[in-house]
Amino acid sequence: MTAHKQTNLKPRMNDQQEEFFLDGHNPAGTHEPLDFALETQFAEQDHGEAPVQENLLFDREYSENPSNSPQIDLDGMSKPIHQVTVKQYETTQNLAFQHANNLLESLEAQDVAVQYQCREGYCGSCRVQLLEGEVHYIDEPMAWVNSDEVLPCCCIPKTAIRIKLP
Amino acid sequence: MSYTTFNQNSFDTLKQPMFFGETVNVARYDIQKHKIFENLIEKQLSFFWRPEEVDLANDRKDFNDLLDHEKHIFLSNLKYQTLLDSVQGRSPNVAFLPIVSLPELETWIETWSFSETIHSRSYTHIMRNVVPNPAEVFDDITRNDFITRRAVSVTKYYDELIEKCSFYTQLGEGTHTINGKIVDINLYDLKRTLYLTMVSVNVLEAIRFYVSFACSFAFAERAKMEGNAKIIKLIARDEALHLTGTQHILQIMAAGKDDPVMGEIAASCKEEVREIFLEAANQEKEWAGYLFKDGSMLGLNQTILAQYVEYITDQRIVALGLPPIFETKNNPLPWINSWLNSDNVQVAPQEAEISSYLVGALDSAVDTNDFGDFDL
Ligand code: FES
Ligand SMILES: [Fe+2]
Ligand SMILES: [Fe+2]
Repeated sequence: MTAHKQTNLKPRMNDQQEEFFLDGHNPAGTHEPLDFALETQFAEQDHGEAPVQENLLFDREYSENPSNSPQIDLDGMSKPIHQVTVKQYETTQNLAFQHANNLLESLEAQDVAVQYQCREGYCGSCRVQLLEGEVHYIDEPMAWVNSDEVLPCCCIPKTAIRIKLP
Repeated sequence: MSYTTFNQNSFDTLKQPMFFGETVNVARYDIQKHKIFENLIEKQLSFFWRPEEVDLANDRKDFNDLLDHEKHIFLSNLKYQTLLDSVQGRSPNVAFLPIVSLPELETWIETWSFSETIHSRSYTHIMRNVVPNPAEVFDDITRNDFITRRAVSVTKYYDELIEKCSFYTQLGEGTHTINGKIVDINLYDLKRTLYLTMVSVNVLEAIRFYVSFACSFAFAERAKMEGNAKIIKLIARDEALHLTGTQHILQIMAAGKDDPVMGEIAASCKEEVREIFLEAANQEKEWAGYLFKDGSMLGLNQTILAQYVEYITDQRIVALGLPPIFETKNNPLPWINSWLNSDNVQVAPQEAEISSYLVGALDSAVDTNDFGDFDL
């Protein structure tokens, strides 16, 4: 299991959009994918304006067969990265989602401590508030989610997002 | 309304509320009003486990090495867990089945309650492996004042609902004289009692149980009683699902689409709901006082456990859409998450096999790996 440190939530840098951190602290500039299977293949797909809760399932084919991904053709280009702005108490952090399997893993890799139990969408422990943007659920979440909340353990950002931790 | 095991009326299931509509007839799942209950059933079935699969061979030695006040903490916590699961293993069935109106919800209640009986059986498995005389421990649950007081608070809503519903099914709505006592039975009040009972069940599983999990895992954090912790992890996995179940039921009720009267009741009961959460939190803190009366253990004491009580109470009440009570910020037990997560529970069937031969017969310090080559 990953070790989870309590986070020091001081903003790590000023609000420059180009300079946010990658999952797991990839050194700046290394935007090249290290492991294709870890990529999110859905970063730039348009899923329309459906509300978060009603757009639960997407086609698993892509995630299981990376070769089906339209992004395979984007040789040499950097992957789309979504900015993730995390608010907790009075602090704001600018992070990025790129390599992780889900938003929870991405946040943990960037030293943000999010509560969890099941890590598969049925307990609700990881609930965070989605202030802005959209997410996509990899698995249909079973836990109760209020209309302004998302479960990071089973979703990935679809756009740049702003979330508020409890 | 009187209860019948197979309602002869034909009616549109999709028009029935979750409770207090037509009693169920055909156990069919081809049309479902609330699909969530089918999902919960599927998930719960996939979780099936047997206590005997978990090897407790080293726990007896660990237990013997505990200091007296640590033994008190361990056993009292286990007694409390036994009490809670004794209640949960039957009460959802007895209280909710006579009034349920949707087959998928009926089956969820049965599946839910059945999983609690696995929890109860696992406590016997633990006791047999850890203490020389399990009967002493079990007997104390009905004799020890501190425990019986806990029993009253976890059963009073269930018991009230069961009593009122039995009058309702036999006598219907109205003012009845029962054994010289005047009892007023009306459906609105029954639904209100049901709503508050469901809240108290959520509190039982989502707060009280989690406080007890914290104690179990505090031992394992120090590499003690690790077999016990494995079992508690499996129990915690089930409870996470159960609390999701009651959260859904409560939120469906509050939304009022399933039953508009329930929506009204939920809106008018907010203060009482808060009271139920607050009362439970206070009782759990008081219980922490009893657990640690003779001393704390490394990593956990009365103050920290009380902070956890406040933290988890806030988490759970907020999930129901109500404001937090204590305004807590951080989880005071950050290490608990990885214990609550069950991904890393591994049960080795052949080891479990051997451990059942070992019960009471062999020194538990024997490394079970030594038996690796034996074919029993
Ligand atoms: S950790 Fe259980 S729902 Fe996300
Ligand atoms: Fe249980
Ligand atoms: Fe339960």
